Amino acid sequence: MMDAPTTDRWIRRLNLLQLVLAGIIIMTPTVWMVLSSFKPSFEVTAYPPTLIFTPTMENYIELTKTTPFVSYAINSLIVTVGSTGLGLLFGIPAAFAVSWTRISWPAILTLAARMAPGTLFLLPWYVMFRQIGMIGSYTALILSHAVITLPIVIWVLLPSFDSIPRSVFEAAQVDGCSVTRVLWRIALPLVASGVAIAAILAFVFSWNYFLFALVLSNGDTKTLIAAAFNFIGEGSTQWGALMAAATLIALPPLILAALVQRWLVSGLTLGAVKG
Amino acid sequence: MASISIRNLVKRYGNFTVIPDLNLEIADHEFVVFVGPSGCGKSTLLRIIAGLEPITAGDLYIGDKRVNGVQAAQRDIAMVFQDYALYPHMRVYDNMSFALELRGTPKAEIDSRVKRAAALLHIEDYLDRKPKELSGGQRQRVAMGRAIVRNPKAFLFDEPLSNLDAKLRGQVRAEIKALAQELKTTMVFVTHDQIEAMTMADRIVVLQSGMVQQYDTPETVYERPANQFVAGFIGSPAMNFFRVAWREDRVVLSEVGTAVPLDGEGTNRLRQAGEGLLGIRPEHFAVVPDSADGIEIGVKLVEPLGSDTLIHFDLAGASAIARIDPSLRPKVGDRLSLRPQSGKSHLFDSRNGQVLR
Repeated sequence: MMDAPTTDRWIRRLNLLQLVLAGIIIMTPTVWMVLSSFKPSFEVTAYPPTLIFTPTMENYIELTKTTPFVSYAINSLIVTVGSTGLGLLFGIPAAFAVSWTRISWPAILTLAARMAPGTLFLLPWYVMFRQIGMIGSYTALILSHAVITLPIVIWVLLPSFDSIPRSVFEAAQVDGCSVTRVLWRIALPLVASGVAIAAILAFVFSWNYFLFALVLSNGDTKTLIAAAFNFIGEGSTQWGALMAAATLIALPPLILAALVQRWLVSGLTLGAVKG
Repeated sequence: MASISIRNLVKRYGNFTVIPDLNLEIADHEFVVFVGPSGCGKSTLLRIIAGLEPITAGDLYIGDKRVNGVQAAQRDIAMVFQDYALYPHMRVYDNMSFALELRGTPKAEIDSRVKRAAALLHIEDYLDRKPKELSGGQRQRVAMGRAIVRNPKAFLFDEPLSNLDAKLRGQVRAEIKALAQELKTTMVFVTHDQIEAMTMADRIVVLQSGMVQQYDTPETVYERPANQFVAGFIGSPAMNFFRVAWREDRVVLSEVGTAVPLDGEGTNRLRQAGEGLLGIRPEHFAVVPDSADGIEIGVKLVEPLGSDTLIHFDLAGASAIARIDPSLRPKVGDRLSLRPQSGKSHLFDSRNGQVLR
């Protein structure tokens, strides 16, 4: 039998090992992608992969020369900011209403919509948007991406609203607030960090979503991630440019996550414990 | 300031009836306390008055206005919650000024009203603090301040002292009473603590299962309880009850046949009923030197309280308590003779618990 301190030490070591393994599994493709983006194009697919090489910007130069990369980035930004804004606009009152009325089926419905495969929506949307002449419009893309952002906003904010004591809302009602005013003056300031987390998560998920833009966009509105798909051609994939594009696409979510990581973790557990 | 009138009020949650049919008139400027055990419907009734719970049937009037469908925000009622319910993101000043700001009160007036209320409650030094930086007692005062500044038609208090320690509770209790006397506003206070009810109320509403058992002044509720429930609920320690019968022209303890020296208005009714319940408060026993004048008991447990001493004993199959002079220094196992004080006993119908008068 091991004594308690020895057991604790072993538990700590195993925890560390587990974290290191998870880190390697998660980080390896990312590191490989970033390193590859700085390799000369012939070295990107070299086997075994080269770890020591002379870094070059040629892939990035190639990317900006051969594609309207900045336009794609702006398209991505418009769709992501638009759908995140739409998600927040409807998700905040929706989460508050679910928390207030304790009627949870609408929230479950949105979750089901989020869990359903994107292709389920794609065909009817394609037909619908084509009929009303909206294929390739920002509006169609923003509306479709709201299917991603809305459930995120609702489900991140729901526990935050639930964690506010009911009596605080009731006190505001007795003080003279309508339900709408309770939301804007009392509830929203109390869940501000939750709103920030919801906004960041919605932004990241919308930014990374590929399928809707692939079908519903056109040359003028194509988002970065859908455009990157074009680098994969039959027999002649531009791996170097693709790695550079992937690195640039991954940058905004990574920067956002890094900037708010402490907040992100505390925000995701918001509402778990009443203050 | 306004009266509150509740007429044939019914409150149901699905099939569960909390208040079957309640009528109550609270006069303008009156301090009324709703008291009763957990689940008796007292908080529900308060929340109905506040507009936080809808009414199933019946009418509620605040002043002359029927307010059944009127939202809480439009009732001009102030409420102090059990957990204070302060707005965590606002400073004390903003907590207190919020309702006035919503009503479009001019800034200068808001400032003067907040400062006046803060001075009244001795919280002037905390106006810039957030609620989390305050102690329980200070939060309680801010919650009251938030109510006071509004000058509402009525104040509602939902067990506001239950989160305070015993010493602070006594202090705040006295402060609320002083405040009520100063503000001269209709106040409705909910508590399960009968000492709070007795000490603060102009009139007490004793509730059980959503029904008013008695609605009267604290003195009357204590001295002339309407039924066995009220008699047992009001008073600490609770009233002792013994089964009694009318035999050979006197009242005897049913179990043992011992005669109880009793007088008073209930004895005639007991004579008619044949049997009933005798209620004697612990403080209404007198220790007599001669066992012929009283009932002999054996002391089972002694609780010295300083000002007086409680002794526990068994009598006629029931556990009972008497409050006696501490100078007697009783010990466990002592034999004492107790006599119910003249005119202080209560007789109840053993079938329905109603007082026999």
